[in-house]
Amino acid sequence: MKTLAYGHIKTAIGSVRANKSRSFLTMLGIVVGVVSVVSIISIGEGVKSQIRSQINHYGRDLITVRPGAETAHGTFTDIKSLVNINHAGSLTSRDLLAVEHTQGVAYSVPLVIVGGSVNGGDHSPGSITVIGTTNRFASALNQKISFGANFDPANNAAPTAILGSRVAERMFDDPVPLGRSFTIRGEQFYVAGIFDDFATAPFSADVDFNNAVFIPYDTAQSISDNGASMYEILVEPRTSNHDDEMVNALTRNIAKARGGQHDFTVLTHAESASVTNDILSLLTALIGGVAAVSLLVGGIGIMNIMLVSVTERMHEIGIRKAVGATNRQILMQFVTEAAVLSLAGGILGIILAIIIDVILRLSTDLQPVTSWQIVLLALFVSMLVGVLFGSAPALKAARKDPINALRNE
Amino acid sequence: MIDLQDVSKLYGFGDATTLALDEVSLKIKEGEFVAIMGPSGCGKSTLMNIIGLLDRPTHGKYMLNGRHISRLNQNQAAKIRRDSVGFIFQSFNLLPKMTVLDNVALPLTYKGMTTARRLKTASNMLERVGMQQRESFLPSQLSGGQAQCAAIARALINNPKLIIADEPTGNLDSAGSRLVMELLSEVHKMGNTVLFVTHNPELTRYATRVVYMHDGTIIHDEKTKLGEVSPTARRLMYSVPVTTEDDDMAGVSALMTALPVKTSLNSKRKTGRSLGRAKKSKRTSNKDVIL
Ligand SMILES: Nc1ncnc2c1ncn2[C@@H]1O[C@H](COP(=O)(O)OP(=O)(O)OP(=O)(O)O)[C@@H](O)[C@H]1O
Ligand SMILES: [Mg+2]
Repeated sequence: MKTLAYGHIKTAIGSVRANKSRSFLTMLGIVVGVVSVVSIISIGEGVKSQIRSQINHYGRDLITVRPGAETAHGTFTDIKSLVNINHAGSLTSRDLLAVEHTQGVAYSVPLVIVGGSVNGGDHSPGSITVIGTTNRFASALNQKISFGANFDPANNAAPTAILGSRVAERMFDDPVPLGRSFTIRGEQFYVAGIFDDFATAPFSADVDFNNAVFIPYDTAQSISDNGASMYEILVEPRTSNHDDEMVNALTRNIAKARGGQHDFTVLTHAESASVTNDILSLLTALIGGVAAVSLLVGGIGIMNIMLVSVTERMHEIGIRKAVGATNRQILMQFVTEAAVLSLAGGILGIILAIIIDVILRLSTDLQPVTSWQIVLLALFVSMLVGVLFGSAPALKAARKDPINALRNE
Repeated sequence: MIDLQDVSKLYGFGDATTLALDEVSLKIKEGEFVAIMGPSGCGKSTLMNIIGLLDRPTHGKYMLNGRHISRLNQNQAAKIRRDSVGFIFQSFNLLPKMTVLDNVALPLTYKGMTTARRLKTASNMLERVGMQQRESFLPSQLSGGQAQCAAIARALINNPKLIIADEPTGNLDSAGSRLVMELLSEVHKMGNTVLFVTHNPELTRYATRVVYMHDGTIIHDEKTKLGEVSPTARRLMYSVPVTTEDDDMAGVSALMTALPVKTSLNSKRKTGRSLGRAKKSKRTSNKDVIL
């Protein structure tokens, strides 16, 4: 039986090869399906592992306070809330005070966004974010400063700046541009430090810190005439493991400061990362649908081409039956051929998906991970499609009686 | 070995029904070498296909080696075709994309034999039919006689007791015919039962028995001596010019086909099958003229 299966595979490969362009066109649906499934799962896996490492890096106990009411997770409104960060109003220094006076808070770090352009340096930095914060920012996120120093806590109004790693690369030719000057809203600043790479997660609601310039909180307030909007407060609790209590206490206090309004959100870091997960699930579902449709179309294509093949090869079927092939053996021959055809499409799809992965890695923040499980799954699914859609034509071939099949020239 | 009782075969239905076999009864014992003769369309192929399990009778009982064939399912029939029957066709029926060796080994594939053993066995069989130098040729690269020898090797590969050849020499010239018939004689001498259909009375010299058919029935059945043309066939050869269906339809007598120009015109238009027949009618008519 084994040698027969081997023979079927050999015949199948032969006939796929004999009609190269026809086979290729037939495979196309399967290829598209497999490419979309494999790449979306790879991207998803990549993003999840990036989120995981971000959480691990920032510490599980970090709590964030953001403006805007909490929305139910897992719905489209998450994308809206992501887009609407700046329209959701902002937090105020009263909120910050309320946070600081909440029991169990070790310290809190405000993040304000300063509008206006950044100039100077060797090159235009392109679109970057200017964030005002305190010297505690680095420790709240467990972030190292690779060169230079943190803000001087004694002088919160100094014209100093710490650059995100990518900003440093883009703005200055020096590998370490410490002490270089540039302007924000026309005010002169000096580079005091450069952050290590921040762990980022794509689709994350966070600002890309690698692409940001950090200035002291008070400086930020003064250069923007107190117009900087506070979009986030990071809260480091004194002890971990009491996340829920902490979140409740913060919610109560901030609400009191806001006159009972609950137009803000308090999230543990894991929760804020889950927003990313939800967006990802949505995307996976969408592309999964595309993949299912293209696999279906691919399957129908295979069925069609197998019907043609069976009709074309009726005489061959007659000969094989005349020399003793049973219905089952003919069935297996054509099912194998369909499976080989769609498996070839699957393999092509996997190769393309891996190429897409590499391109994404090189050109975006995404770090797709193609695991062997995904590859196996794709191979299995594409083979299954071939078997399912190939069996109807194969049955047709198997059921033909030998003498009628032989009459077909 | 073969026992047909009142076997009929109907084709089509309604007004278009054809009675290809009309209650044919025939017994063939092991070791016989039977020639089947008769005009075109008299049901020779239909009979061969039924005996070779490629087709099923509409009515009647067919026993092969004591087994009731009409009761077998398709699967069992396939296994008997594989193990007990070797079928040789007029048009060779080799798979065009496979080498001669692979073609000969094909029936073994369906037995589940390993590739190495299969090819070894097939190679031996090709050697026995004198084709060992052409193992790796494609069927299209062979002459008609060689292709038929390969087809015979394929039919013999499972050592079947029964060999059925439907006009094995129909597409061959006289040299090819002799080659094929000598081979079949060898097979017969080894103790196998051989059935063959022919339009050429000369070839009855190889047979031990000749069966004549007409309009789906057996009209004459005689034992003959090996090496001698059957007396009935001899009479056929010299008196009745064999006309073909095509000639009848065209309203052309067999004598007319003797004219070289006409013959070549005819053969160009006809398929290989009728080509062979045109040649034969030419030959018989020639003799007629000589007489
Ligand atoms: N598939 C079929 N459908 C309908 N009629 C058929 C079919 N096959 C054969 N016949 C008819 O059955 C009769 C016997 O055909 P068969 O092929 O057995 O003749 P034959 O003796 O082999 O003729 P030839 O010498 O030309 O090969 C013919 O009248 C033919 O028209
Ligand atoms: Mg015939």
